[in-house]
Amino acid sequence: MKPILLGAAAAVLLHITPTVILVKREDAVAKLLPGAERFAARELHLSSADSRQLHDAVGWEPPDGVVTFYLGKRQDQVTGVLLFMRVDCQHGPLELAIGYDTRGTIRGVEVTKATVEMKPWVLEALQAGLTNEYRGLAVGQAPTGAEKVKPHVAAMPGYMAELIDKGVMHADAAFRLFYR
Amino acid sequence: MLYDLGRSDVRVRWLVTLLLATLGASYVFGAWMVGLYAGFSTRAVAETYGPAGEATMVMQMPPETTMVVERNLSVAEMTEEQHHVDRNLLVQDTHVHMPMYAVIAAALSVIALGLALPRWAALWIIVLLFAAPWLDFAGMWLTKLVSPRFAVVTLAGGWAMALGYTIVAALALWEMWSPRSEGK
Repeated sequence: MKPILLGAAAAVLLHITPTVILVKREDAVAKLLPGAERFAARELHLSSADSRQLHDAVGWEPPDGVVTFYLGKRQDQVTGVLLFMRVDCQHGPLELAIGYDTRGTIRGVEVTKATVEMKPWVLEALQAGLTNEYRGLAVGQAPTGAEKVKPHVAAMPGYMAELIDKGVMHADAAFRLFYR
Repeated sequence: MLYDLGRSDVRVRWLVTLLLATLGASYVFGAWMVGLYAGFSTRAVAETYGPAGEATMVMQMPPETTMVVERNLSVAEMTEEQHHVDRNLLVQDTHVHMPMYAVIAAALSVIALGLALPRWAALWIIVLLFAAPWLDFAGMWLTKLVSPRFAVVTLAGGWAMALGYTIVAALALWEMWSPRSEGK
């Protein structure tokens, strides 16, 4: 009986909580692609060699082999690029929106989704100014948001900041290697 | 039958009735959620669980060289979320859902054991109750790893789950609360 009860308790404790929206995607788009009148999706179906290149660079590749750049355009000129990135951990997925200007500098990062459990941790990291650390980062520069906020937040928000750093790093590598 | 649900104490009958009602409510919301995030057609299921979302039918292996497809979008299309379950999310989903499906199948099987059914019929219901979640997740993994055509297995699993619940709930409620069982 005891193993059954322990198993049931473990199943409850390990259950991933539902996803919540922290920032609506349309708000993230308005903020990160300001002034854009038209939009396009550029989907890259990566070859094995390119997937490997991405994996060698940052230890990550899109599980389905597709990287999508969302382009904001004004008068047929690209004004900015946006990527949605998912970062998984044992507490569930996080979704980030990472916006770039045309030179590849990060315009901003928004955390669009988290799980119910992760939400307060993410909010604490954001209140500590995490996303300010990414603004203006040139493509290829390693994100150090977690390093900056960790002294000011508890352990789990610090862990969330590390995950968000990781998502930014993945987006950055995809942009650096494949955005043309 | 191992025990007689139709002649059981009223407390047991209430327990079973409330369990069935709660499971029924969760199944209704489950069906609603499937409608929202996956769909009830083989095409919709294949797009949700296939190897590359809407591109499942044309691209199952990585191309030899990276392919670029660009299309214009409206803001609505851009922010519209197509719920696509990739491999990592499917690992999580399987880990989270399979234990709960097992507990539900076990609970319904225990109810089935108290029904006035021939042994073979009870056996088949138990097989159906446990086969349904296996078909559901086997279909998702086969759709992802082998071919989008296996989406039909997931659909069969979902309908089998609904069928198993309906059979057990209908028989149990009839045996417990029909006029025939009054005063037992």
